[in-house]
Amino acid sequence: MRILLQSMRKDLSRWRRDSSALLTWILIPFVIGGLMTFVVGDGAKPHGVLLLVDQDESLLSGLVAGAYTRGELGELLSVEKVSLEEGTERINAGDASGLLLIPEGFEDAFFDAEPVTLTLRTNPSQTILPGIIRDVTEIVLDAGFYAQKLFGEEIRSIRQASSTNEKGTGPSAELVSAVAVAVRQRIVEIDPYLNPLALEVEVAEPVDTAPVAPMGLLFLPGIILMAVMFSANGLAADYWVEREQGTLRRIHCAPGQLGAFVAGKGLAAIVVIGLIGGLTLLVGSLYHGVGTVRFLPSLLWISVSGLALFAWFSVLQMLGSTQRAANILSSLLLFPLLMAGGSFFPFAALPDWIAAVGRHTPNGFVVDRLTTEITSTAAWAIDAQSWLIVLLMAASGLAVTSWRLKSGFARA
Amino acid sequence: MLVVNNLVKQYGDVAAVEGISFEARKGSIFGLLGPNGAGKSTTIKCISGLLQATSGTVTVGGLDVMSQAKAARKLLGVVPQELAIYEDLPAIDNLRFWGKAYGLRGEALEARVSTVIATIGLADRDKELPKNFSGGMKRRLNFGCGVVHKPPVILLDEPTAGVDPQSRKRLFELVEAERADGACILYTTHYMEEAEYLCDALAILDHGKLIATGSVAELRAQLGARDVLQLHGQFPADACRLAIRNLAESRLPDLEILAQDDHSLSLTLSSGSRHLSDIFAALSGAGATVSETVLRSPNLETLFLLLTGKELRE
Repeated sequence: MRILLQSMRKDLSRWRRDSSALLTWILIPFVIGGLMTFVVGDGAKPHGVLLLVDQDESLLSGLVAGAYTRGELGELLSVEKVSLEEGTERINAGDASGLLLIPEGFEDAFFDAEPVTLTLRTNPSQTILPGIIRDVTEIVLDAGFYAQKLFGEEIRSIRQASSTNEKGTGPSAELVSAVAVAVRQRIVEIDPYLNPLALEVEVAEPVDTAPVAPMGLLFLPGIILMAVMFSANGLAADYWVEREQGTLRRIHCAPGQLGAFVAGKGLAAIVVIGLIGGLTLLVGSLYHGVGTVRFLPSLLWISVSGLALFAWFSVLQMLGSTQRAANILSSLLLFPLLMAGGSFFPFAALPDWIAAVGRHTPNGFVVDRLTTEITSTAAWAIDAQSWLIVLLMAASGLAVTSWRLKSGFARA
Repeated sequence: MLVVNNLVKQYGDVAAVEGISFEARKGSIFGLLGPNGAGKSTTIKCISGLLQATSGTVTVGGLDVMSQAKAARKLLGVVPQELAIYEDLPAIDNLRFWGKAYGLRGEALEARVSTVIATIGLADRDKELPKNFSGGMKRRLNFGCGVVHKPPVILLDEPTAGVDPQSRKRLFELVEAERADGACILYTTHYMEEAEYLCDALAILDHGKLIATGSVAELRAQLGARDVLQLHGQFPADACRLAIRNLAESRLPDLEILAQDDHSLSLTLSSGSRHLSDIFAALSGAGATVSETVLRSPNLETLFLLLTGKELRE
């Protein structure tokens, strides 16, 4: 027991002197996390700008422009009125999601049921927001088409009365009444076509009303695991340092201490990985407003998982015939694991089949559960089975490391 | 204290150690002497448990190093040929760690660490990292780490390899101090003068085989009082062999050829300096040309030459 603690103290004392490595392991998640946050923002919904060139300046063109910011669309889009020159220049520069040109005479053409062309240019470098703008435009046009078909005559008669009224006070009460009756009559006529509806609409209440985590927060577990993976791999390389220093041979000669030596190194790794992962978790939690009750279970999960990853990276290091070969081998595995395991992109942003594979990688398994812990409604959300799996992975990794040391690595 | 009996270590068909046996006693230094590749380090590794012997037994304090490994290893202190210290851990923490690894605790540990750090001459630099030490200081710390738990049996594998004369002298003092404290020391070296100076008993190895064993005095007696004369030049083989044989039969009965080729001739004889002119005359008559002459008085190096026909450092 004492040699275990002494071994841990010895490694912590040695590793703290390697400040450049520690600094690199701490900086990696902050640099990558900063870049990710810069790219995707605070995890808020994407927001785009629709440039509107309104050459008609009519009531109808105003209604069309208003359709793009109605209701929840307003959270995604804002409409900015610009001149044709400015609009063209900005859309060419990619400074907006779309440019809509409403030509002069649009309202007249609509009321007179004459052809008119609305021009929409979208930003090819974006996919989601231009698609939304295109869909909204088509819905507005469809609505106009059906309004024209159903109530064209009534609209025209009111417009004609408004334009010929000398006092400019609008249509007479008689005309409005007549139009209202006509509209009512038309609705009664089409009612059999609309009711009952040809489609049956069933409104299902969602079973789980858990809030969807913002995208920025979904990056956090992957970034933390990236720091854990780099530090676990770096610390595992210490077995080669010890071998080159000859200290592995010496500990092999000591009476029955190899197991405690490996366990002590594992404890030291937990401390370092816990510090690095915990710091990243703390900063990320503060930034994203993650509840403090989730900190402890998340930190424990990171530390125990870090130990398991450290143990198996140690085994991997010992498979190399030389230190350089071991480093190449572990790097060959490290980066694909980071890619597939949700460290560069959250599983929610990956194609389903890649995400499914990624969740089965060791780090992907950890990221998946850490995401659950961070985004769930209650703390301690990781299930007992997952804890057991990670603990078993750590124990088996340390056991294999110990066996590999005894079977030859420490004796060379 | 340390008994090696018919030890064999094979790597496939190659035998690194072929059935060597010796016994080292408490309070003595037993030297394993031989050139590089003779099997000295392999023997040490088999004793310390780094290698598993193919056959044979090793007992330390009556405990078999294979079947009672844990108990036997507690009695061993190993100072390997290559440095085995943490270069990024202060010298005193190195000693503390290795002391604890061998079971020392509390005040006993601190007392022993203080003694050892002073003995190896690093008390004033105990907080420094060994990576800033000279080679000799690292060697001394390496020695200290091997003896910090005060083992009754110490294995020293070429501890002076690559060490400057001053540090070597210091290491000798440390080894002698351990012997005076009652330790049994197994000391491997390929320096004959070291072995002669330090060791109470010796085993000479070559190609994994034990070719001579005994105290330094006993080994010298094997050589007798004969000198070794080494000649370099041109030596027609048959004519020279005949000339030397004739000289031995007529005037120098203990003259023998140790080794001979076209460019060198090694001879052994008593009182060599008094018979040089006779030997030169005989060789000249045989058509030989001597360009260099070395006459050595009897020592372990000449014994090795006598036993193997080659230089120890070849």
